[in-house]
Amino acid sequence: MKKRILAAVLATASILGTVAGCDSTPATSSGNTESKNDTSSTTESKDEGKEDEKKEEGKVLNIYAWNDEFKGFFEKYYQGLEYEFELPDGTKEKRKFDKAPGLETLKGVTVKWTINPSDGGVYQQKLDTALQAQSGAAADDKVDMFLAEADYILKYTNSDFTMDVSTIGVKTLDTQYNYTVQAASDADGKVKGVSFQCCPSALIYRRSIAKDVLGTDDPAEVQKKLGSWEDFDKVAAQAKEKGYYMTGSYVETFRTFSNNVSSAWVVNGALNIDKAIEDWTTQADTYLDKEYTLADGVWGDQKNKQMFKDGKTMCFFGPAWYFNFSMKNAQDKEKGCYGDWAITTGPQEHFWGGTWILAATGTDNGTIVADIMKAFTENEDVCSKLVEEQKQFTNNMKVNQKYATDPNFGNAFLGGQNDIALFVELAKNIKFEYKTKYDQLLSEKYPEYMLDYFQDKISKEEALANFYKFVNDTYADVKTP
Amino acid sequence: MGKKHKSISYAKWGYIFIIPFFVVYAVCTLVPLFSTFLYSFFDYYTTMDFRTIGPNFVGLQNYIDMFTPDRTGAIDLFNYTGNTLLMWVMGAVPQVLFALILALIFTGIRLRIKGQGFFKTVIYMPNLIMASAFSMLFFTLFSPVGPVNQLLTMFTGAEPFLFFSDIWATRSIIAFINFLMWFGNTTILLMAGIMGIDQSLFEASSIDGATSKQTFFKITLPLLVPIIVYVLVTALIGGLQMYDVPQIMTNGKGGVDMTAQTLVMQLNRMIGGVTKNYGKAGALSAYIFIVTGALSVLVFKVTGNSGGKKKAKKGGK
Repeated sequence: MKKRILAAVLATASILGTVAGCDSTPATSSGNTESKNDTSSTTESKDEGKEDEKKEEGKVLNIYAWNDEFKGFFEKYYQGLEYEFELPDGTKEKRKFDKAPGLETLKGVTVKWTINPSDGGVYQQKLDTALQAQSGAAADDKVDMFLAEADYILKYTNSDFTMDVSTIGVKTLDTQYNYTVQAASDADGKVKGVSFQCCPSALIYRRSIAKDVLGTDDPAEVQKKLGSWEDFDKVAAQAKEKGYYMTGSYVETFRTFSNNVSSAWVVNGALNIDKAIEDWTTQADTYLDKEYTLADGVWGDQKNKQMFKDGKTMCFFGPAWYFNFSMKNAQDKEKGCYGDWAITTGPQEHFWGGTWILAATGTDNGTIVADIMKAFTENEDVCSKLVEEQKQFTNNMKVNQKYATDPNFGNAFLGGQNDIALFVELAKNIKFEYKTKYDQLLSEKYPEYMLDYFQDKISKEEALANFYKFVNDTYADVKTP
Repeated sequence: MGKKHKSISYAKWGYIFIIPFFVVYAVCTLVPLFSTFLYSFFDYYTTMDFRTIGPNFVGLQNYIDMFTPDRTGAIDLFNYTGNTLLMWVMGAVPQVLFALILALIFTGIRLRIKGQGFFKTVIYMPNLIMASAFSMLFFTLFSPVGPVNQLLTMFTGAEPFLFFSDIWATRSIIAFINFLMWFGNTTILLMAGIMGIDQSLFEASSIDGATSKQTFFKITLPLLVPIIVYVLVTALIGGLQMYDVPQIMTNGKGGVDMTAQTLVMQLNRMIGGVTKNYGKAGALSAYIFIVTGALSVLVFKVTGNSGGKKKAKKGGK
């Protein structure tokens, strides 16, 4: 008996030890998985009101997403805040969104989130399964709305799984950036959803390192020295001499290049590697050989560690959501370097990501879905809160303009720089072109397979052959050389 | 009447009672098994725009594609088979040896180790942890910013060593995890095997003055052969299906130049992604089935357990 108790105690201890080990090790790299949200989770939140509901609206609002960014905004600004509404009799009154005129229906509706990480196409896979089962699913299990990224939005907008949102009363407004509307439209021009973000991407640099390397940390001056890829390469060499890395990941500049392609990943059913992608390949190879960067992914721990105060990396690339939502290490109170950052245009203009809200065909919550879409694009109160509290660059030009011209507005993380002012300029030039439904995995895997070549393990041809194999196995209908 | 009564066969009840199992087995296992095999003769896949192509009968085309060399002249299938077997051997050989030593220590009459229950529990413990959790733990341990590299940097002052950019480091870590997870299971099995051997044989040998070495090679090992064969065959079947550890360790990429890509990882790439290629995956499944069968037969032939028994009997008598 004693033996058994001893065994049980030790067994428990060893399990706990393992669990504790699991727990403490990743903690050293906390904040890295924030934007990827590595765990699948389904959470529910129930609205309190239990009064009579209208029959037309379903009782469960099913939302599919790949991280909890929008979930946070939704809970805070859609479910939580009070806004001024015009009542049917003309009077104005402050009410919560779910008590807005015509929306008393949201009372008693359960919001159900299904969140899966987007890496390796997991999110798409889960979403596809749900959408394909949509017609046979019970009303409460049907997907009502889901989020999609620029990399694969075309797949959904051009399918019958998304619905024309004009049928549920969502209008396209002049205040929305054109490319966001274009991205949400199908081949016939029917708009299938809206985006609550506009995502021009900037060069994000460490002020202190820029001062050391370039002698200035003024965005305009830095831009002059980093305005082209030739200059960028030159500065990379200077940074290396002083013991710095130019970028923290060999994939860091990939988005900038891949956003400036002049042909798509797949042309006429065949894989196509654009010249811009070739240019990136050359650059990444050089940068790794000369140790201007690290052999880590965009979301890698090694790169994210570079955001700490003792990091040696000068440049990062990303839109507003990146430096406010994903650079948690830089914002760390003890080890971070809050305020030691600034943004500028960089060598080439580009955009990255963006979250579109699409309405799923067959939804039984059309009114609520439409209302959510309007709240995050039309409602200036919500959009202003997104800018002020969440540091978002919204898809409402009017709101953005208000902050861009406000001399008192600044982002403390960027040392008080008005990031909205720069983004307003960059947003004007965003084009949504040369996109295919295949983009997410091609853009994710191409750099990964080329890394073996960059690290001189195999030849470029062999690395390409491995990439082609991936393409053949994943997309049976895409031809490779 | 009386005669008729006597001839009632109760055997039919036996058959009736096992019907549910066979029905479930047929529906859940046999049908998918045959449909997988059937699909391997078809061009049958889904695309990114939610279309399903096929099934169009293409004969042996999927099999021919599978054995066609790629641009660099290599046949990927052999590469993946090789990786799988290599990583299995790297884990299974130390696994069986280590387990055998442990089993001998625990069952040794002369040693009489105390706290056996405790040690057995501890040895078996790794097997209770999910392979994916194990993999994540090791992935973090050996990452460029992980503890192993922190120690390396601290003591040698060198740059972090990129374990997952090194072919053999990656393979070794994968093999080591498999070893760590399964040696406990093997130990328990071998211990049961050793304890199943007639104690009088050991006593007789010690009376005859046999050394420990002689006892092991002349008595324990020959009589343990059936168990070892069982362990090897089950380990082989499990090893050929190696998936979760390398998948997580290499983030689904298959390691440097696909040197850690296993057969089931390849299967997953065809059937578990954003699109599904039922035809090609069917052909690959059939291949894995045949390879597993062939290798299992080989293990039986090589170990030839009947010969072992005869020798042991001679030694015993």
